[in-house]
Amino acid sequence: MKNQALRNDILAGMFLLPFFLIYVVFTIFPIFKGLQMSFFDWSLIEKGEFAGFSQYTALFTDPDFWQSLWNTTLFVILSTPGMILLALVLALLANINVGSKLRTFLRGSYFIPSILSVSVISYIAIFMLQPYSGIVNNLLNSFGLEGQVYWLANPVLAWVSIVGVTLWWTVGFNFILFLTSLQDIPDSYYEAAEIDGATRWQMFKDVTLPQLIPISRVIFLLQVLASFKVFAQILLITDGGPGTATRPLIQYIYEMGFEQYDLGYAAAMSYVLFFILLIFSVIQIRSGGQGRMI
Amino acid sequence: MSQTKNTLLQRNRDPYLRIKILIGVILAGVFLFPIIWMLFVSVKPQDMSITAPLNWFTPPYTLSNYASVMGESDVLLWLFNSAFVGFATTVITLIVTSLAAFAISKIKFRYRRAIFLFFLAGMMVPGEATIIPLFEIVKSMNLLDSYTALILPMTASPIGVIILKSFFDGVPDELMESAKIDGCSHWRLYWNIVLPLAKPAMAAIAIFTFIGSWNNFLWPFLAIVSEELYTLPIGIPSFNSTYSTTYMLPMTVNAIASLPVIIAFLIFEKQIVKGVSFTGIKG
Repeated sequence: MKNQALRNDILAGMFLLPFFLIYVVFTIFPIFKGLQMSFFDWSLIEKGEFAGFSQYTALFTDPDFWQSLWNTTLFVILSTPGMILLALVLALLANINVGSKLRTFLRGSYFIPSILSVSVISYIAIFMLQPYSGIVNNLLNSFGLEGQVYWLANPVLAWVSIVGVTLWWTVGFNFILFLTSLQDIPDSYYEAAEIDGATRWQMFKDVTLPQLIPISRVIFLLQVLASFKVFAQILLITDGGPGTATRPLIQYIYEMGFEQYDLGYAAAMSYVLFFILLIFSVIQIRSGGQGRMI
Repeated sequence: MSQTKNTLLQRNRDPYLRIKILIGVILAGVFLFPIIWMLFVSVKPQDMSITAPLNWFTPPYTLSNYASVMGESDVLLWLFNSAFVGFATTVITLIVTSLAAFAISKIKFRYRRAIFLFFLAGMMVPGEATIIPLFEIVKSMNLLDSYTALILPMTASPIGVIILKSFFDGVPDELMESAKIDGCSHWRLYWNIVLPLAKPAMAAIAIFTFIGSWNNFLWPFLAIVSEELYTLPIGIPSFNSTYSTTYMLPMTVNAIASLPVIIAFLIFEKQIVKGVSFTGIKG
């Protein structure tokens, strides 16, 4: 019997080993490596002197750090409501059953931007939003608006553009999650409500919406987590500009690490981001996990 | 069946159905518009002058942009790199996560629960926040600027293990026992019995791994220097950022990068949608 137990341990070890190695080296080890780096003067070429908490104290008095952290937070605040409400509206529209062809068309149309590469959507946006020759300004002009809108040169409009583009690009994921849970609501609930003489609005308010609360919570947390990691589309569309008005935290981390060659400072800022994201992950996992499987 | 009943129920009672369809279709147009615009621009002659919005869409058309882009840029190489890295990442992820999930679900060994919790913890590690130390680690392994750097760090997906484990848990132990009595080894149990039953979960993981790899920007952006290793997300900006007034070539590069995924989406739409709702993963 003891022999059998040992054999199982060895067998399990063999099954686990490939994943375990990759996971430890590339997922777990970086957490500790990052902590170490944040306590040293660490250039792109080599490890320097022990720096104690100086990276962290520098960070607290660095206005650029606070601005980029605020920009990331602002992006979360600006994008999250739209990411949820628009997704819900799209799901309700795509759930009206009028022949599966139209439904498939609507579903595909709302989701398809999500599969495009961030570089593709960013350059579509840049060219569509150009002054004079861009089609968005063309259209506005033909609707009677005079002059040119400089979408990416004005801080407020730059934010509008970034949030709008991101909404168009990624709302499809949330839309699919809402749509699936709408379709999971048992028909018997609606039939019972109908027998009770409920109006359509009452059915929506008292049957549909309450059934969507669990998935809404999941979507909200996943969305906040994803939005805190915003980087690529801002880098490509505005490069953080005008000035640094839209530069998110990850872009600042990148610039400090790979343009100023101060990896220690970049690691310290990454740790701040790490803890912000960790808080939301813990909340998310405790409140029911990732999607429907767990 | 219940779906159709729902349909009838709603259709009979929905006075706003037409309005909803109208809004739904208009919104679909808004979502598709930039993509359609991109495709039209990619077939416009380069010397076209645009005087009205409609000009973007009207003839003449030409395919010469595709020829010049393929000559002037390495877009086909980037396409190959993205496809190769995506494919390799997906295959390795499926192998290592399913092996690990099988051990946790079906083999009784010491510290089983502790190991599972250890993997579970990885779900809370945000990759973006550990990218700087990851860069240092990969650098010290002399792997920077290689396919291995693009592929390997992205394959240890804890969520993959978790999804597969919960799927494997559903395979009845009696089935396992009777196979064992017939002299089946654990490897054969894994390969011949458990894996085939887990096809839907494997498909879902394959889809989100591939999409994630295909769209990954930050990591290749840091880990790759050589142009011949660029993936599409890195190669496209390197080409497009040199243009600001010529629309046709950048949109042609975009189109070449997008057409394969659009076609794949049209073919596998059902599976992709299922995969998304299955895992709740987002980019």
